[in-house]
Amino acid sequence: MKFKLIYPRWEKLVGQTIFNLPPHGPVVFAAALPDFVEIDFIDENVQPLDFEDPADFVGISMMLTIQLKRGWEIAHEYQKRGIKVIFGGIATMLHAEESLQHADSIFLGEVEGRLEQVFEDFKQNRLKKVYNYLNQEPLDVSIVGPARRDILTRELYFHKGVQMVDLFHASRGCRFNCYPCAVSFLGGRVFRPRPIEKSIEELETIENNRLFIVDNSLAQDTQWEKDLFKAMIPLKKNWCSHTIEDKPEVLDLAAQAGAWYVYQAIFDTSDYIRKRIQRYHDVGISVEGTILLGMDNQTEDDIKRLIDFLLEINLDLAEFTVLTPFPHTKAHDDLKKEHRIISNDWNDYNAGKVVFKPKHMSPERLQELYHYAWDSFYKDETQEQKMFGLIMKVIEKEMDDGTYQPRRRDLADKSFGRVIQR
Amino acid sequence: MKGQDQFVEEIYHFKGEWGIPSLCGLKIVKKNENAIILVTEFYDINPGTSITNWNTHLAHEICQKHRIDPNRMIFIERTPKTSSTLSFYQETFDRVTFAWDGESLTDPQWERISKAEVIKLMDK
Repeated sequence: MKFKLIYPRWEKLVGQTIFNLPPHGPVVFAAALPDFVEIDFIDENVQPLDFEDPADFVGISMMLTIQLKRGWEIAHEYQKRGIKVIFGGIATMLHAEESLQHADSIFLGEVEGRLEQVFEDFKQNRLKKVYNYLNQEPLDVSIVGPARRDILTRELYFHKGVQMVDLFHASRGCRFNCYPCAVSFLGGRVFRPRPIEKSIEELETIENNRLFIVDNSLAQDTQWEKDLFKAMIPLKKNWCSHTIEDKPEVLDLAAQAGAWYVYQAIFDTSDYIRKRIQRYHDVGISVEGTILLGMDNQTEDDIKRLIDFLLEINLDLAEFTVLTPFPHTKAHDDLKKEHRIISNDWNDYNAGKVVFKPKHMSPERLQELYHYAWDSFYKDETQEQKMFGLIMKVIEKEMDDGTYQPRRRDLADKSFGRVIQR
Repeated sequence: MKGQDQFVEEIYHFKGEWGIPSLCGLKIVKKNENAIILVTEFYDINPGTSITNWNTHLAHEICQKHRIDPNRMIFIERTPKTSSTLSFYQETFDRVTFAWDGESLTDPQWERISKAEVIKLMDK
C-alpha cells in the first residue's frame, strides 16, 4: 500500500530569515507505521506536491494552525480524485471539529501502537471518521521508537551547503501551565520522559551533529535532566533546546553535553532574567530570547523598555511573537470571554499578526511595535549575521571535538533545494 | 491543591471535548427558586478541557445531575489566583448566560462580576 504523507506549506513571517527545518511530527509518525505500508513523504515547504503522483491513501500532518487551510485544500484535491485522506498532528487535535469536515478521517492522540488498526480498517474499506485516543491515558513513552528520518529528502534541508539541525524529542507531556501554550492539553499534564537509554539509542542513529531537542521544556525533573545530559556527553552532539534549568550542576552538565543555545522566555526587565542569561553565558551556552508581545500587563513603554533590555543583556538571538489565542489555552479562554478576538481566520494565526484587541493599545499599534521590536533588535546585525556567529561558535567546538562535517560544496548555491538568485 | 477554598465543595469529574477526562471545582447553592452553580478552573491539575471551553455541555450536565432547571440557574465561572505574579492569573468570576432551547445550552455570554457579588449571590 502506498501511503503519501504530506506536510502542508505555510507562509513564513515577513522580513525574517527562513530556516526550513526537517519536520519532526512526520518522522515520529512514520516510525509507528505497520510494515506493510510504503510511505512517500512530501514536505511542501521545500518541495512541490504533484496531485497526480500515485497514492492509495493520503495522510496530512499538521503541526501549526497556519497549516490548516492549506491542509484542507490538499485534502479536497485528493478527495476529488477519489483518494481517502486522514489528518493528524497537533493542529488537527487543536482544531479537530473543523478538520473533520474536510477529511475522510482524523486521528487524535499519540500514534504508537495504534496505526495498525487504522491501516487495516483502510484496507477493509471500513475507515472510521474519527480515531480518538484523547479520551485515554497518555501512552507509556518507553514504546516510542527511533524516528524514521529516512523518509526525508536530505538535500532539501541545507542552506548554502550548511545542514539544518535535526529534531529529536526526549519526553512528552508538560507539568507547567503557561498562559499561551496548549501543550498540556496535547501531551497531558504529566511529564513523561523517555527512558534515557532509548533516547541515547535514537541519538546514536542521527548522523547530523547538530540537533534541536524539541521538548517544550527540559526543566521538569532535575535528576532526569542531569542523567540525560551525562549520557549525552560521549555523543559529542551540539544542540539547541527550549528551557533548561539554570542550576549550576545542570548547566555544567548541559554545556558538557553540547548545549549550543537555549530558548529562554523573557517577559520582563528584572535582575532575575539578567542573572539567568548571565548564568547560561558563563558556561558558554548562548541564548535565544523568546519574547511574547501584547500581554495584558504590557504597555507600549514596557515593550520599548523590554527591547532596550534585550540589547543590554547581550542576548545572542531574539524571536518576537505576538500573543495568539490558540484554542485550548488560557489566553484563548480569557480573550474569548472578553470578546477581544478579532480574527478567526487561521491563516492569521502565525504569531506575527495581531488577532486580538490588546489591553493597553490598539491592535494596529501592537502590530507596529512587533515590527519595531524585530527592526530594533537586529538593527546593527541581521538575524542571519547573528546566526552565522552562532554557527562559527559551533564549528569551533566541532573542530576541537573532531566531529566537524564540512559544508556540502555541491549545495553551496542552493537554499532548501532551490537555486539562490544572486 | 491550588484554588481549593470556600468556593469549592467537590472536585467534579467530567468528560470534556472528545471525551477527555477533565475536572473542575464545583459548588452549588440553592437559594429561593434559583440554583447558583459555581465552577472553578484548576489550571494545574485539570488534564482536559477547560470550563470555559466546555461550559455549555458542563452546565447542562450539572443541571441534569442535580435536577436544576436551566432557566433558574445562575452559572458562574471562576478562575483562581495562581502563584504567578502576572496579572492575568488573578482570581476572576464571570457570570455566564446561555440560550436554552429545551434540549441544549448554546451561545455563552460572559459578564465579569466581583467576588463580593458572588458572595452575595451565594449567601444564604
